[in-house]
Amino acid sequence: MAPTLCFNCKTERAVIIRPKNRHKLCRECFIKVFETEVHETITNAKLFYPGERIAIGASGGKDSTVLAAVLKTLNERYNYGLELSLLSIDEGIRGYRDDSLETVKRNAVQYDMPLKIVGYGELYGWTMDQVVEQVGKKGNCTYCGVFRRQALDRGAAMLEIQHVVTGHNADDVAETVMMNLLRGDLPRLSRGTSIVTESKASDTKRSKPLKYAYEKEIVLYAHHRRLDYFSTECIYSPEAFRGSARTLIKDLEKIRPSSILDIVKSGEDMAVLVPGNTVPGGKSCKSSAAADDEAGGCGSQNGRSSGGEMAAMEQQLAANDTAESRETEIKMPKKGSDTKKIKTQTLQYCEQCGYISSQRICKACTLLDGLNRNRPKTAIEIGLEDEEGSSTLARQMEHIQLTNS
Amino acid sequence: MPAKEMDLPCMECNNAEAAVTTRSRSLCGPCYQRFLNYKVVRRMEKYKGPKDLAKSSVPTARLLLPLSLGASSSVLLHMLDKALARQLAKTSRTSYVLEILVVEPSTISPDQASCDIQFDKAREAFPKHTFNRVPLHSIFEYVPDMTEIMRDYVGPQYIDDDSKSNEERLAAFRDAASSATSKADLDTVLFTRLAVGYAKHTACESILWADSDTSLAAKVLAGAAKGRGASLTWQVSDGMSPWGVMFDFPCRDLSKPELLSYVSVCPELSEIVIPDRPLSDNILTKNLSIDELMLRYVTTQGEKYPGVMANVSRTAHKLHSTSGHGGPLCSLCGGLVENVNGNEDGITVTGQFATENPRFCYGCMRSRPDTVLN
Repeated sequence: MAPTLCFNCKTERAVIIRPKNRHKLCRECFIKVFETEVHETITNAKLFYPGERIAIGASGGKDSTVLAAVLKTLNERYNYGLELSLLSIDEGIRGYRDDSLETVKRNAVQYDMPLKIVGYGELYGWTMDQVVEQVGKKGNCTYCGVFRRQALDRGAAMLEIQHVVTGHNADDVAETVMMNLLRGDLPRLSRGTSIVTESKASDTKRSKPLKYAYEKEIVLYAHHRRLDYFSTECIYSPEAFRGSARTLIKDLEKIRPSSILDIVKSGEDMAVLVPGNTVPGGKSCKSSAAADDEAGGCGSQNGRSSGGEMAAMEQQLAANDTAESRETEIKMPKKGSDTKKIKTQTLQYCEQCGYISSQRICKACTLLDGLNRNRPKTAIEIGLEDEEGSSTLARQMEHIQLTNS
Repeated sequence: MPAKEMDLPCMECNNAEAAVTTRSRSLCGPCYQRFLNYKVVRRMEKYKGPKDLAKSSVPTARLLLPLSLGASSSVLLHMLDKALARQLAKTSRTSYVLEILVVEPSTISPDQASCDIQFDKAREAFPKHTFNRVPLHSIFEYVPDMTEIMRDYVGPQYIDDDSKSNEERLAAFRDAASSATSKADLDTVLFTRLAVGYAKHTACESILWADSDTSLAAKVLAGAAKGRGASLTWQVSDGMSPWGVMFDFPCRDLSKPELLSYVSVCPELSEIVIPDRPLSDNILTKNLSIDELMLRYVTTQGEKYPGVMANVSRTAHKLHSTSGHGGPLCSLCGGLVENVNGNEDGITVTGQFATENPRFCYGCMRSRPDTVLN
């Protein structure tokens, strides 16, 4: 049988079937097509300006390694004039992160980019291994996600960079859309689909240049460019809703490969229709609350899940249902306008750490308080930072009483 | 005299053995029916009419109820029939009348038996309402420009022959679909168009869809997966459809298992309801349609997490309507051809398929035969 020729150049032998549309392509054409598509995403969304300094959130995994490689290539090919550097977070997961950080260190040399590593240990006094030891494997992704979001911003601040790009791909975005439909969180659905998220007061802007790239194509790209990446998955399991959404998306992709992009399209349209959202969903999401959420999405691929989160939500919904049946409807006389006021989140600074938050105390500090409260009083000193933290907390508590009385 | 010993008395009346347990309530047949009935009647309140209905000159509303003779639509008919009888007894008139439309199942799928027996039984059981049974290919009668729309959509090679009967023309259109997903997707569109065309023909202001929360949740997830997210606002929510006929979903607070239990405690329905064909286990995922995959997912997850699944349709119900967003509508499914206003840089039909004068939306373009994906 004669070899199939490339759909694009019609001269070379096709070695790849594109997962996205089943086109048969040769190696060169695939790499070219993939890069051009990312370039189009970047130019259509006007992600960068000439001379901008960009930090690439690098984990050593395939997504961020491909992102770094593509951005370096495009930056040179199209003269973006960007100053690129790598920013890594050390969550402190032994057997996973310490190995992948070695990859990032090699990448820094290969791509000739400066590298900055920020650790959970130094920022929060807790590594993920210690967190898991304390809270167990259930729900630990919440901690990791919340901590990572802040850690990236702080890392960027240390580098004096205002724009962090992350390796979120089309599968991740589709997963977020499905997951938030399942757990009924429309504001998060809306934020998850936008290519740029920036907070009004924060200096750091975030974007996902690989938003329309299929995970499978990212793997193929990494393989055919022989990129050096670390392929072990996070050893801790994802939360139930994300796991469930992930399984669904894998099944959908088998049925109709385009469905990943179709979900992204649905998500972009629905984002505009979310109540209280006046922000275009497709391009940019200027949300005050964007600063302290967007948890999860760490790229862990294992579908194992405890189901605890779903069960908890089920319980709460059932309780609401029973409560509703005991309620008596009381109709209030109409006053003035009857348009429903939508509660919007307002932006403020965390009273403990000064990070932007939609609450008085940011999510990371709330989680840390919980962790620190239950930390066994061992003979080992944790360090000065924690001491300070608790005395600040005590002062805060006095403050609360005063303002409330 | 001590009451008769009961294993599990009904929590409501304490007079009979409980037959069904749902939402941590154990109820006897009649109390269970009342419990579900309440949730549907509440959704039908807007058609209740004024308090002094007998004297009022408010015209009687005409509502279309598409009856598949499955559990959900049969239960809805049973409940509304009872509600109308109560209203008639109280006020000597009713605030609405029901027009019942049955689309002959054997014209939807050749491996489905004709519903002759059940149709006649239903007519006997509910004599006060107008029943009509039409084949799926009567869509050409009720939607006059359907031939032209189909020709545009699949290309002239399938539809062009004017000598074809309506039945053959519809078969050619449906056979052109290249996958189970596209076929199921287009069938839903055709069915909706037929119901809307029929509603207009019979001057009905609204269509009452009998979808349970299970079915609505599956529709939400499937709609999102097929790129039809923007249409969900009228496909699963109460409100105006793109064709000027209202859509209502009075069973939206009930799950499929609850509706099935209703049938089991309602002897009048036993000869009417055509049981669902069981979901087969040995089918490859890739051969399923997206609609089937989602229905399976919601059904199996719903056994463990009924509340979470019910919440999915409530979540989609919260989205703002797309009406007033302007822009051209898809001539096939009625969805927006362009992106929703405000989504300026997202994926567009033109961006994806580079058609010059698109008449069809993103979702329909995906189900179009031989579409070269971009």
